[in-house]
Amino acid sequence: MTAAVTRDGVSALPRGSLRLRLLSGTLVWIAASIVVAGWGLSNLFHRHVEAQFYTELQTHLDQLTANLTLDARGLPVLALPLSDPRLSRPYSGRYWQIDRIENDNYEDSRAAAAGIGLLRSRSLWDQVLTVPADTPADGELHRHRITGPEGGKLGMIERSVRIDDDADGKPRTFRLIAAADERQMSEPVSRFSGALWLALGALGAGLVIAAMVQVFVGLAPLQKLRAALGKVRSGEMQRLEGEFPAEIMPLVAEFNTVLAQNAEVVERARTQAGNLAHALKTPLSVLFNAAQSPDTHDRELSGLVIDQVGIARRQVDYHLARAQAAASARIPGTRTPVSPIIEGLARTMRRIHADRQLVLTAMPASTSLSFRGEAQDLQEMLGNLLDNACKWASHRVEISTCSKDDQLRIVVDDDGAGLAVKQRDAVIRRGARADEEVPGSGLGLAIVDDLVRLYGGQIVLADSPLGGLRSVLVLPLAR
Amino acid sequence: MRILIVEDEPTLQAQLADGLGAAGYAVDAAGNGVDAHYLGDTEPYDAVILDLGLPQMDGITVLKKWRSAGRTMPVLILTARDGWHEKVAGIDAGADDYLTKPFHMEELLARLRALIRRAGGHASAELICGPLTLDTRNNRATVDGQALTLTSHEYRVLAYLMHHRDEVVSRSDLVEHIYAQDFDRDSNTVEVFIARLRKKLPPRLIETVRGLGYRLSAPQ
Repeated sequence: MTAAVTRDGVSALPRGSLRLRLLSGTLVWIAASIVVAGWGLSNLFHRHVEAQFYTELQTHLDQLTANLTLDARGLPVLALPLSDPRLSRPYSGRYWQIDRIENDNYEDSRAAAAGIGLLRSRSLWDQVLTVPADTPADGELHRHRITGPEGGKLGMIERSVRIDDDADGKPRTFRLIAAADERQMSEPVSRFSGALWLALGALGAGLVIAAMVQVFVGLAPLQKLRAALGKVRSGEMQRLEGEFPAEIMPLVAEFNTVLAQNAEVVERARTQAGNLAHALKTPLSVLFNAAQSPDTHDRELSGLVIDQVGIARRQVDYHLARAQAAASARIPGTRTPVSPIIEGLARTMRRIHADRQLVLTAMPASTSLSFRGEAQDLQEMLGNLLDNACKWASHRVEISTCSKDDQLRIVVDDDGAGLAVKQRDAVIRRGARADEEVPGSGLGLAIVDDLVRLYGGQIVLADSPLGGLRSVLVLPLAR
Repeated sequence: MRILIVEDEPTLQAQLADGLGAAGYAVDAAGNGVDAHYLGDTEPYDAVILDLGLPQMDGITVLKKWRSAGRTMPVLILTARDGWHEKVAGIDAGADDYLTKPFHMEELLARLRALIRRAGGHASAELICGPLTLDTRNNRATVDGQALTLTSHEYRVLAYLMHHRDEVVSRSDLVEHIYAQDFDRDSNTVEVFIARLRKKLPPRLIETVRGLGYRLSAPQ
């Protein structure tokens, strides 16, 4: 899938991968949902911790408010200490402070001088919280961020409280402040966020792996389909075999139908070509015989007819062979075991050339050797070569088969007169007859050469160790 | 020698019959597979020329039926279909030779002679019996090199006896093999031909085996 296969079987770069397409969609969705979930959850937690932070501060303020009274001098005192122990530990990060509002017309100068930090939590030790000038109205609760005694940022809330002084009956206004180090709020949030992103990261990685596995497993049948197609092309199988998922099965069935139809069309073409041959040759035979008859008076005419009939016959043979071969070389998935073909042809040769008393030896070929193509074409090629060898041999003809470099090689040797090197090419190319004495249309080798070329093979003529001609058919081997 | 021609094209059938007749054979012809099968199954032919594309029953089927019924006469397939797979199929069905159309009549006759000769176990085209020589290639009989003048019926009788040299050939065998099927047969005419042959041949070459028939053999 990732490597598209061109017609020549050469891998090219992928032009849009199905796997990439499926994966990228899933990955974008996984990433987006993890980011949104992480941001939402940490935000929610942050708000929760913040609310808790200020609720505690407010509890301190409430306790301060409830316990605040004035002493005889009109100074604020707490009736009871605050319950939270952190308020007593120095610099614990949690503080309270009570200021007297400045613009109150207070008479006691000492008290007035000590307006800021009149009362403070023990945790503040000798420090005073510096707070921005602000006077909350009655019942209002104000929040501020201030710098703490150790330089850290503090979250702070304040409220103003008015108390009537029993001594002079004048109301006194105080500013009650509770503050805590913001780290008490941010630390749990960052701890939570760290754990949260870790967990979400693990979840995301798991999802990505699952998605990849899903895509690979889901697309695996396509790999299998490709392998099966390769087998059809190489001739190992006639049709697509094997179990495929329900989504691919119709495709496989359609493809098999196309293959079957293709084979059927070729078979029909062959039959029709054969019928055409029959239809043409019978009248040609009649003409030919009539022209040969000794009763014929016009010798010139009969000579012309004999010549033309010969030409017509050769043309019919030649083009029929080509048409049939062209049709069959296009069917993928055909394979022909070589041994039965050789045996059948050897039987036929022994019978047809019975008068020549030849010793025709078919070396036992490996039974596993198969030709990648049609049986009829192999018979045609080998039949012509063998027939020639039998016509020219003195006593012996030998056939042997082997595979070499992924090709099938069928070698036909004879012990006849052989063929001069310069004649060999001419015999193949022009379908010429090397010697008019030996009967035959002379087209045999030209047809063989045509067929061999259609299959991408070649025919080689050489000297035979038997003394005559060696013809080698080099053809595609079916794996 | 009696030949069956199976060919559905009438003109070609007639040409074949003429050609074979001129070569000294007695000829029967059939134009379809069913007739061909019947004739080949019941008549004693010395050879059959068989087309493959036949109406009613194709040639290969006819041939297979003959062979499975034990009919062993030589069969030459004469067809327009010249693919090697067809030749292999024809030979495997029991044919003895294969010739494709269009064909030279000379080649057909030569192959037919060879088939008949081989069927009789003879290696050469010249059949020899003592001083008598029969050249099947040109239908010439010679005695000590002197050509004999023979009528076509005389030639057929002599050729049949030569092909079955040293065997006793019954009068009815001779009738079966020298006449075509539709010929008005009369076994007495065989005696006439034998008598004429004896006059032309050296003495005692053709003996009469009482009650059985005739035997051609070289004098001791």
